[in-house]
Amino acid sequence: MTTSIKLKNDLLKRVAKVAAAEGYSSAEEFVEHVLEREIAKLEDAQSDEEIARKLKGLGYID
Amino acid sequence: MVPHFAYIGPGAGFAFFGSFLTLAAGLCMSIFSILAWPFRMARRALLNRRSFRKARVKKIIFLGLDGLDSRLTERMMAEGKLPNLASLAAEGSYRRLRTTFPALSPVAWSTFATGVSPARHNIFDFLDRSLKTYQPRLSSARVGRPKRVLRLGRFRIPLSRPVLELRRKSQPFWTILGKLGIGSTILRVPITFPPEKFDGKMLSAMATPDLKGTQGSFSLFTTRIEKASYENGSRYPLRRAAEDFEGEIEGPADMCVEGSPILRIPFRMLRRGSAFELRIEGSQCKLEPGVYTSWQHLNFRTAIGVKVSGTARFLLTETEPECSVYMSPINIDPEHPALPISHPPYYAKYLANLLGSFATVGMAEDTWALNEGVIDEDAFLDQAYSIFEEREAMFLDALESTRRGVVACVFDTSDRIQHMFYRHMGASDRHANVIEEMYRRMDALVAKARTFVDSGTALFVLSDHGFCAFRRGVNINSWLRDNGYLYLQNGGRESASFFEGVDWSRTRAYALGLSGFYLNIQDREARGVVRSGREAEELKHEIAAKLSALRDADGATPIRTVYETASLYRGPYLEAAPDFIVGYNEGYRCSWESAVGKITAEVLADNPKAWSGDHCVDPVLVPGVLFSNRKIDAADPGIEDLAPTALNLFGVEPPAWMEGKALL
Repeated sequence: MTTSIKLKNDLLKRVAKVAAAEGYSSAEEFVEHVLEREIAKLEDAQSDEEIARKLKGLGYID
Repeated sequence: MVPHFAYIGPGAGFAFFGSFLTLAAGLCMSIFSILAWPFRMARRALLNRRSFRKARVKKIIFLGLDGLDSRLTERMMAEGKLPNLASLAAEGSYRRLRTTFPALSPVAWSTFATGVSPARHNIFDFLDRSLKTYQPRLSSARVGRPKRVLRLGRFRIPLSRPVLELRRKSQPFWTILGKLGIGSTILRVPITFPPEKFDGKMLSAMATPDLKGTQGSFSLFTTRIEKASYENGSRYPLRRAAEDFEGEIEGPADMCVEGSPILRIPFRMLRRGSAFELRIEGSQCKLEPGVYTSWQHLNFRTAIGVKVSGTARFLLTETEPECSVYMSPINIDPEHPALPISHPPYYAKYLANLLGSFATVGMAEDTWALNEGVIDEDAFLDQAYSIFEEREAMFLDALESTRRGVVACVFDTSDRIQHMFYRHMGASDRHANVIEEMYRRMDALVAKARTFVDSGTALFVLSDHGFCAFRRGVNINSWLRDNGYLYLQNGGRESASFFEGVDWSRTRAYALGLSGFYLNIQDREARGVVRSGREAEELKHEIAAKLSALRDADGATPIRTVYETASLYRGPYLEAAPDFIVGYNEGYRCSWESAVGKITAEVLADNPKAWSGDHCVDPVLVPGVLFSNRKIDAADPGIEDLAPTALNLFGVEPPAWMEGKALL
């Protein structure tokens, strides 16, 4: 599910230009990445048990 | 690896949500869909005419044979053992296919799909790490609990879908083609879970969890134990009841009730001569020694009555004097998926109804069951080829029904069999020819695919990497400790998995995953100590030089090249990459322990497991293969070139962000 966020046209143009220069496939991908990176600094990490358990069975690791 | 925990995946919750709100929404959508059908068909016909106007082909077939090694392929072709691949090469082209850094399937197939390097699609390994806790995570997908849950006494009613996120970034070529009205059928191409919406059909692959939320954990029911034990697979007691046996299948946890208890299903095995009748709930099937059952449906009922469906296959591995039954990981039932595993959602059900149930977990061949001696080599091969046949049927169905567009299907059989049988190659035991027989079987599959090729079809047969022996493991973490880059608390020398007891305040580098290792950078890692910039750069050069000089006891060089990742590729996700990619020499790989942040006494140790072949080496040692019925002029094609090639063949200009170049 997605929701639209409004950006001013000038900002959107700058976003699109930087996104293309950096190798993103779209302005949306760039905005998502920047937001995710900032939010990750503020959010709590998952519990270690949860993380370890999900990897169980992956052939490449013991 | 770890004791079992309450199921934290969304299975039960998802099923509940699905059975009410989605049902209502689905009904409305169906009515709307029927009414809009004539308009959609008219629009599509118009779009199709425009879409294919500049196309040079009507159809492209990508047949992916994971891990098919260039050296073995070339040798067997020269010996006349792969006539169909040889004939395809003669008619069109054969080239070695440059793989990605690192040479790992999730990385390489993501590059195949998007035409970009890992720094632009964000998949660098099977694992990445939390910058806060240094703990490993699956790099390609996140499955989280529903955000909104209604608490009614002891019950927990999910009010939203679980959080599902595909971490692979950029855009696959099939999405771009779909926007232009060119449809694709994408079958089991790695790193497609959760499935993305696009104009076409897709069945998810690598990273799809089992019903317990793991990457595939088997169960063994046996009279040899009295209490359950949990390793990579789980072992449960099988109780005698006169001539018969009984046990209990552990499924996912019930997230709809306080405490999230494990859901269980009892089963009985009634003796019938030398075989048994397996009874699970109302159903029954024959259980014969050494013969897999068909997929059995396992319906786990939650406290609020919602059903969570899985499927598993059983194998009687011994009967006298002890009795043991292997059960495969509980796969998400394709007929009633507890999580989305296809696009559109009904596609998995369509395939199951048409062809019978099938394996849905990401890495379906149970390598751990063979590693741990729960099943033997023959049982592993039976399972691997059974999965191969399921996929072949899907692939042929897609080829039958596709007149225009793309069909891409990846077969894992070639990868898994080489992983588990490499130690037999060249030996004199009865499994010595297993790998060669597998290559012949893949060759026969190519012959079937070629029957669907006409003058308007471009066929590509490719692999994502090759293979090497894996005889010795290198624990990079232990090497970092020995060289003063990693410290344990209280002067310790060894640790358990996941960096237990590591003193981060003095640790400057650490290894996680199969491909490389990281610096502990200030303001990037939560407890980073290395200043980015000059200090980090100098440290990188110092570590790379020292690690390259590592020698084994016999004087051999385990590491061919230590690559500084920033020198390999450029892109917006580079900061998530390991700072180094280790290019191991043939015969070596990152050790099992190092991959999960375990520090052992020794840096180098033998690999004792059945898993004896690998490709986590210097990527220049393990190129894949590329065959086509078309002439390929490029002397050094890379796996990043296939996406722009697909676009180009349909007359679509590859977008500027794609780094690959069209081959035709």
